[in-house]
Amino acid sequence: MSTKVTATVVDSDPSLYEENHVHQVYDQIASHFSATRYKPWPIIAAFLSSLPPGSVGLDSGTGNGKYLPLPIERPGSVWTIGLDRSRNLLRAARTAGQSTREVVWGDVLGKSWRDGAFDYAISIATIHHLATPKRRMDAVQRLFECVSPTHGRVLIYVWAIEQDAQSKRQIPTSTDQSALGQDVFVPWVLTSQTAPRKPNRQHVRDEADLAVDTQPVEPQTFNRYYHMFAEGELDELVRCAAVNLGLAVGASETDADAGIEIVQRGWERSNHYVEVRRWRRA
Amino acid sequence: MVRLITHNLLACHVKRCTTNNFPLQLKDVQLALREAEFNADFLRGFMPRLEWTALVQAACQVGDDSLPLEAPEMVDDEFLKNLHHVLLEIHIEEGAMVCPNCQHVYPISNGIPNMLLAENEIG
Ligand SMILES: [Zn+2]
Repeated sequence: MSTKVTATVVDSDPSLYEENHVHQVYDQIASHFSATRYKPWPIIAAFLSSLPPGSVGLDSGTGNGKYLPLPIERPGSVWTIGLDRSRNLLRAARTAGQSTREVVWGDVLGKSWRDGAFDYAISIATIHHLATPKRRMDAVQRLFECVSPTHGRVLIYVWAIEQDAQSKRQIPTSTDQSALGQDVFVPWVLTSQTAPRKPNRQHVRDEADLAVDTQPVEPQTFNRYYHMFAEGELDELVRCAAVNLGLAVGASETDADAGIEIVQRGWERSNHYVEVRRWRRA
Repeated sequence: MVRLITHNLLACHVKRCTTNNFPLQLKDVQLALREAEFNADFLRGFMPRLEWTALVQAACQVGDDSLPLEAPEMVDDEFLKNLHHVLLEIHIEEGAMVCPNCQHVYPISNGIPNMLLAENEIG
């Protein structure tokens, strides 16, 4: 299915805007969305496989919880807690990978964890749903705050302006503001054809799912808000978040007591990603 | 689900509620017990990251007194089995978590805790 992406402007209170163009949409498309999202991306899977046994982490914006069962080769040696704003997606996340998962209904801008509680945090395809630069930076800051100041690791993925050649999405030609990223609507069309093709093993079907599936065939289009990130924009967000927390940026600098180090960064499958490690001088 | 593994990580985040906001007090809980795969490596690795006193207190609130008041230095199999049960096999299905400082109530329904705050409560 080819999806036409259109430019948009955030023209109201950002939290209200997100409520209308992100949270409500996901709650409505949850079961169909969930059925199309079951394959973990390689770099994220590798990150989760590199964690020592006993690690506990946060998946901030877990969606249907597809990363909660990982690492697949040694299940139960690591626990990831899933947080999401969509309660309907959490119903799927709760039983992701046919086992009971830990999920929390909350906002990625919330701070409902004791400081430094986690060994790691991932935020995959989530921060691009926040409607202002400040809110996106706050979300990054929350990730830094919830992991250990001595060894916490954070992996962030956001949607890129630079799209994969294989992507069928048509992106509007950018304005002169492209260095600042671009705000867009990405349509999700609900028709009988987009009903889950393979019976979904990852989530329990319940009343809400059935209600959606039995609706008449009239196709419905839901526009989801995204901020498409420009090259370098995610790095800048990470830098600003670190500075706001009084953290140096770079490998254990001599004149700083604490900081973050960018372990890897890059572009994969139409997304920018960055992995960060927190450090503190002993 | 809210198991005690998650409870041990959660704190109140109401605006200006920054001290004595952990651990949240369990209230009117309905429990379900479900077996989970035992993983000694996980438990040994996670132990130093736990807030032990909070865990023991929460375990008592859900009717389990199998854990010692202080985290043991030497861990044996029996201890790990108890820790496993407390952390991963007791599910809080319904009820609430109450902040010991500001009394904010975080409801738990169908096994999912609601940590959302109203716009004016966000810090
Ligand atoms: Zn409080």
